[in-house]
Amino acid sequence: MTSHEHLVSALRQRLDSLRSRVEQLSFDKFGEAAQYCETLGKRIVHEAPPGNDRFTRDRWLNSTGDCLSSLRELSLGQTVELADADAPPVAEFLQSLTEASRDPEKRFQLLVKRYSWPPNVSLAQEAEICEHLLMRLMVHDRAVIERRSVGAVDADDLLLKLNLVAVHAQTTSDLRFLDALNYYYELLPADWVPPAPYGWLLVSYFGFYARALLLRTSTSHEFAHRDTFQHTSGSAANL
Amino acid sequence: MKKHIARWALKAGRLTSLRLLFSRRLVLLSRPLDHPASISKLAARSFDVGLHKTGNIYRQETIDCFRLGILNAHIGLLPKYRGRCVMEWSLLQGDPTGISVFFIDTGIDTGPRIVFSEEVDVSKRTSIADAKDYLFNLDAGFYRRAIDLLNSDSLTYRNNDGSGRRYYVMSKLFQAVTEECLRLSK
Repeated sequence: MTSHEHLVSALRQRLDSLRSRVEQLSFDKFGEAAQYCETLGKRIVHEAPPGNDRFTRDRWLNSTGDCLSSLRELSLGQTVELADADAPPVAEFLQSLTEASRDPEKRFQLLVKRYSWPPNVSLAQEAEICEHLLMRLMVHDRAVIERRSVGAVDADDLLLKLNLVAVHAQTTSDLRFLDALNYYYELLPADWVPPAPYGWLLVSYFGFYARALLLRTSTSHEFAHRDTFQHTSGSAANL
Repeated sequence: MKKHIARWALKAGRLTSLRLLFSRRLVLLSRPLDHPASISKLAARSFDVGLHKTGNIYRQETIDCFRLGILNAHIGLLPKYRGRCVMEWSLLQGDPTGISVFFIDTGIDTGPRIVFSEEVDVSKRTSIADAKDYLFNLDAGFYRRAIDLLNSDSLTYRNNDGSGRRYYVMSKLFQAVTEECLRLSK
């Protein structure tokens, strides 16, 4: 086997494992979102997800709903009504996000407000924000969970960031984003049901993660490259 | 008791440390590196260069205690690979592994002055852990060469221009793939 084949094989095994974990979930524990979670759960287990054309855009769009409803609809492959809009400034937003580093509720609201259409997170001008989200997940949140427990972080804030990173992982060839999803799959307790208003974000994260794994293992898939790196042909990462 | 002390002292580097301590060439800091008492103690010695060995992230006040700065023998090739698990990420992405000696700043591997970088082949190592140990244990030689370069007239710093990426701790899934990449590279 080549290194590339090892990577594909590992991702396929992870997809099988993810499907088993989703199958074990008790959807009735997700309250009013039980129906949504069950529907998405069945899709993750039994169906191939749609292609990534819905995620790849070259301009800022706003949905008529909000970020959370868009995530639900996007995860189920449903149609979302979209309209062209001006991209909001990045620097001010990053500053607000940084200033709210000790206020997860405010951070959650900031992200919800900005990304009414979550795939906007993959636009080139959002690269710094993507990096910030990845850094928060892989440094701060990870450290808190590993030192204490998943109960020590704000579940909504954590899961929204994971969803946005998972949405970005659909279109980027940068493996760090997919690996953040891998890492959290290993880190979060298998039977964890977030005691949070938007606990269903756990299942939508699983949905986007499954889709990212499938896309990565599909040989016909082409990623929207906005990366600066060109991987060598012999690398495992050259998918 | 004496036997225990002798065994402790004979462990790598400790005997040298004791000699340095008795000759008053070893500075022991009882407070964290960025504590004013430590800063004052360090500044008083007028060091030219510091060598990074532990997992600290340094504040500017500590870095400023050293005339030229603090060197780090980073086990990745800068500017492309910053952060954690960079040897593993290099292997996974089919890139060469190696060591870069650079002057740190307060960021994560963002110090702009690279003294030198060199590719180091780890393909003969038995595992990722072994390969990492191997690279980490080369630090003394790399520091010596960096200091020789700093003492020479021919040094031109390479620019750590921020063009690379910051990497993070790797998942178990990718670690396993990286072990295979290492095995296949033999």
